Amino acid sequence: MRERTRHLVAALTGLGLVALGPGLAPGFVLSYDMVFVPDPAFTRLTFGLTGIVPRHVPSDAVVTALATVIPADAVQKLVLLAIFVMACTAAASLVPSERMAPRLAAGVCYAWNPFVAERLLLGQWALLLGYAALPWAVAAAARTDEPGGGRRLVRALIPAAIGGFAALAVSGLTALVVALVTVRGRGAVKVVGAAAVLSLPWLVPGLLRPGGLPLDDTAVDLFAARADTPFGTLGSLLALGGVWNGETVPSGYGTPVIASLWLIVVIGALAAYWAWCREPAWRRGAAVAAGVGFAVAALGAVAAPVLEGLVGLWPGFAVLRDGQQFVAPLAVVVAVGLGTAADRAAAARLPGVALAAVAVPVFLLPTLAWGAAGDLRAVRYPDDWARARRIVDGDPAKGDVLVLPWAAYRSYPWNHGRRVLDPLPRYLHRRVVVNDAVTVGGTTVAPEDPKAVRLAPATTSAAALRDAGVRYVVVDAETAAHRPAGEVREVLRGRDLVVYRIDGSAAPPGDGVPVAPAVAAWAVTGLAVAWSIGVPRATLSLPLLGSIKPRSRRTP
Amino acid sequence: MRIAIAALVGVLLAAGASFTAVQLANASQKDPVIKPLYNYGSR
Repeated sequence: MRERTRHLVAALTGLGLVALGPGLAPGFVLSYDMVFVPDPAFTRLTFGLTGIVPRHVPSDAVVTALATVIPADAVQKLVLLAIFVMACTAAASLVPSERMAPRLAAGVCYAWNPFVAERLLLGQWALLLGYAALPWAVAAAARTDEPGGGRRLVRALIPAAIGGFAALAVSGLTALVVALVTVRGRGAVKVVGAAAVLSLPWLVPGLLRPGGLPLDDTAVDLFAARADTPFGTLGSLLALGGVWNGETVPSGYGTPVIASLWLIVVIGALAAYWAWCREPAWRRGAAVAAGVGFAVAALGAVAAPVLEGLVGLWPGFAVLRDGQQFVAPLAVVVAVGLGTAADRAAAARLPGVALAAVAVPVFLLPTLAWGAAGDLRAVRYPDDWARARRIVDGDPAKGDVLVLPWAAYRSYPWNHGRRVLDPLPRYLHRRVVVNDAVTVGGTTVAPEDPKAVRLAPATTSAAALRDAGVRYVVVDAETAAHRPAGEVREVLRGRDLVVYRIDGSAAPPGDGVPVAPAVAAWAVTGLAVAWSIGVPRATLSLPLLGSIKPRSRRTP
Repeated sequence: MRIAIAALVGVLLAAGASFTAVQLANASQKDPVIKPLYNYGSR
């Protein structure tokens, strides 16, 4: 590793440590979609074989594999820290300068902005994994015509591939645009091929699920970008914010003064990119990708009928519903632009300006620090949960687990009331059925799990659940208010959790997703990854870190 | 030595920010329990 890269990693690891703050304490950070559990196991759910939409594939499998070596809570902290360090290092590697401060400015800006804060609070660590490596994907996509370009591209897309569906959609679209602009047709074919092969672990079970791709037009409005600054939806997206969920905007962000200052920084960075970042091969490609990403991000907000029409045409376009995630390439351009501006300032013997460029993202968004101002705190699962797992997993009799209350998200008191996707499907090693319909405000998106759809009318009847193959009913919130009517046996009652057993339950029906194609998909993807990193004298990290060689002379 | 200085700068930078963050968070006095209980969020 180059000396300067070591400095960057050291400095930005410190930044990441303080950003996560109390989230680094022992235990798990549980926030919205971020669910990590102790001792996760490889189950059909891990590989998306339960019939639900496999948005968690292959990220859950990678976490489970890592958790076989080190404790799962340590895995979570390493993953979160890796996002910060990787984002900083990747963005810094794009700045065409040998100086430290400009590279640091780009790294800090890329890892510390409203996009990262909002997505982190929303718990979308898998998306952020792809975001962190996006600058490498940009650089690799622009060099697909060089010898080893295909391998380099696959390597750069590995973090996004681990992130899964959303992460690969963002990185794949960005890389495709960059390749089309810089190396034209052949490069684009390579990008599509690489993205397709890396998508197989979630694409195959997704296509084979009995319900097919889900279709719900209401979700376009729910997940469209929204204004979180006084500058409207488009202004908020330009400032790299605009996430659909109003609850995941960092405290203090969006006030007129802070938002105005940050928008000035962003516009200044874009101007610097346009004026001074002229030579790198990816310059035009990244700019066009940022424009395309911005247009896609705004689509649901400014032209919802168009997006609804696209989703109606092919449900796969549903990936565009949560539009704000597509401003990620714009964040790359903003970060590189800020770094370029800092380089010009340093060249003009204005070191104070260069250092200010390093610090400005942190000072304009201070509430990302300390676990997003304390929102991302590590908690321990209650002891009742461990007791429930011993009972349920220790039972040799077959049967599914049903979770009540009949809703997907929880605000547990032991998690400081913070919303989180119910962890029980990952916590227990049986097939766990939860109502995966999500409610935003007063609108509910239809459930996607075929078993949840089938069991919805039967959740209050022990007899109906028995016939449907449910052996346990676990109540993990408002425990006094939920109990199936009929013959059930209470096997655990705690303050945080109650477990009922239904004796004599029928054999549970299968989930209908065949295993063999999924195994083949993993094998093909695994071979592609092995091929990409199997370059002589290469490791996974070093070629990535060194993929962009800073020019020997400075930016004019 | 330069690595240590770089790390220290990173920590100091974020420590100042975290102090401000805690002050802001305390000032906001946000209700820790988000209602309604079973929602994914609100726009």
